[in-house]
Amino acid sequence: MIGDRDENGGGSAVTMLVELKNIGKAYDRESVLKNISLTIGKQQIIAILGGNGVGKSTLLRIVAGMERPSSGKMIFQNKKIKIGYAPERFPKNIRFTPEEYLNYTGKISGMPRSIMHKSIPDLLKRFKLEQFNDQWVMNLSKGNIQKVGIIQAIIKRPDLLILDEPLSGLDSLAQQELLRIMKELKKEGTTILLTYHESNLFEKMVDAAYYVKNGVLTKTIDIVKEPIKLLEVERLDESNVEKWDEIINIEKKTDKLLLYVHAKDSDKVLYRILQSEGSIKRVVTVETPGEDNT
Amino acid sequence: MKNLIKYTLHDYIRSHKYFPPISTFIIIIFVFYTYTPNPIIDSYAVTAVVLYIISAWVCLSMLQLDPPVQRQLMAIHVGSWNRYYLSKLVSVLVISIILSAFAFLYPIVFKMFSEPVTFTTGLVTFANHIILSILGISLASLFSKVIMKSTINSFGGLTLTIVLSLAAVGIERVLPPFLKNILWILPPATITQIPLLDWNGRHIDNLALFPFIWVIIYSFIITFLFLQLAKRLR
Repeated sequence: MIGDRDENGGGSAVTMLVELKNIGKAYDRESVLKNISLTIGKQQIIAILGGNGVGKSTLLRIVAGMERPSSGKMIFQNKKIKIGYAPERFPKNIRFTPEEYLNYTGKISGMPRSIMHKSIPDLLKRFKLEQFNDQWVMNLSKGNIQKVGIIQAIIKRPDLLILDEPLSGLDSLAQQELLRIMKELKKEGTTILLTYHESNLFEKMVDAAYYVKNGVLTKTIDIVKEPIKLLEVERLDESNVEKWDEIINIEKKTDKLLLYVHAKDSDKVLYRILQSEGSIKRVVTVETPGEDNT
Repeated sequence: MKNLIKYTLHDYIRSHKYFPPISTFIIIIFVFYTYTPNPIIDSYAVTAVVLYIISAWVCLSMLQLDPPVQRQLMAIHVGSWNRYYLSKLVSVLVISIILSAFAFLYPIVFKMFSEPVTFTTGLVTFANHIILSILGISLASLFSKVIMKSTINSFGGLTLTIVLSLAAVGIERVLPPFLKNILWILPPATITQIPLLDWNGRHIDNLALFPFIWVIIYSFIITFLFLQLAKRLR
């Protein structure tokens, strides 16, 4: 456990792992996160969603104890919680081979040697990294560097696993492997907190998703119960759309805007787009419980 | 912490960043002992001050090794920021101890002194090397990239402070009496020189020990300050 954390004095639900109380973060007086309160239970997979630069990564780093919140506090039920963190961009200049690096991180975390000698080769094999064991991490491709970043986070079987955009740069095989590992870890009792973009791979396994907008945790999206629609539109100004409360997430792709909305709000949003003289190119259901995408 | 120290030293060797400070130190020692014979205590007093500067240089380069994200990851793995930074500082100290051993043994092995080094003289002068290294390391930590964001502040600030600390005796002479207490703020890099040069080298009882203790206390205060600032700035 790192950083300044208080131990929970009791009184909360038994399954609580971490509680964020009125967390705020400001850089140079500019507020990035405001009054964020969130209870993270044990054995849950929780997604933090939102557009670029809204403070998702900052929130994850605060939970990991790597950044200090400007206000509020974090309450950990167990002070000795094991945290694994995979950053969005794993450092490029690592002068060790993947195995050397992972052995060091395992030892530094205090992992028993016997477990390390079994799990490191196994994870390297699962992520198809064993063939690169004669090369330093700094000489690997972006995707393979990202895999090392993910393995160092999961290797110690953490109580809380924090993944910041874990799919970026991964090939589809590695993505599937990561999903399998996440399911295994959850079964073993790990709580996973993650952010992602442009992907619905996680959506079926996520227990709860929260949305950060204007520095505030504005909505709780019950992903399992509610289908979400993706509206692909053109000739629409992003600043205009940002004010619409129904929008869960906005992504910008060249001249297009991708808007994620709950299915129940889609008609209302479509009407507004047309009113604003935007052009609707496509409407897709990106996730439906128990079904594949349509 | 032991494994993070091993990791840091292994990474430092692979980065080749050790080369400028360590080669500089070795060359200075070679040049310093060009002419023989040399007085034992005076020579060791000088090489200890050189090591003070070199340790600061090694510390600055070692604290730059990990980019910010790697720092954060290692702090998570090792369990706390204090443990992370202390591991880094101890890694520098390991190198300083090796350099102290070199500075201590080189003139003995190559017979650069006119008389043999007694156990007491050896112990005190070796300890002086280590104590001044600790001072250099703690000082450099405060001027490292962890605390100072700009390279100019980092290198410039450290160089200026080291120069001021070495010129302390001269500054003391020109300062009016009521301002002399200001010198306590400066790193006590030369404070152990006078008792060492006044020492006959026979009994430790004849040596004024307070300056040595003050260097250690000063270094601990600076290290504590560094750890607090590093935590606050994260």
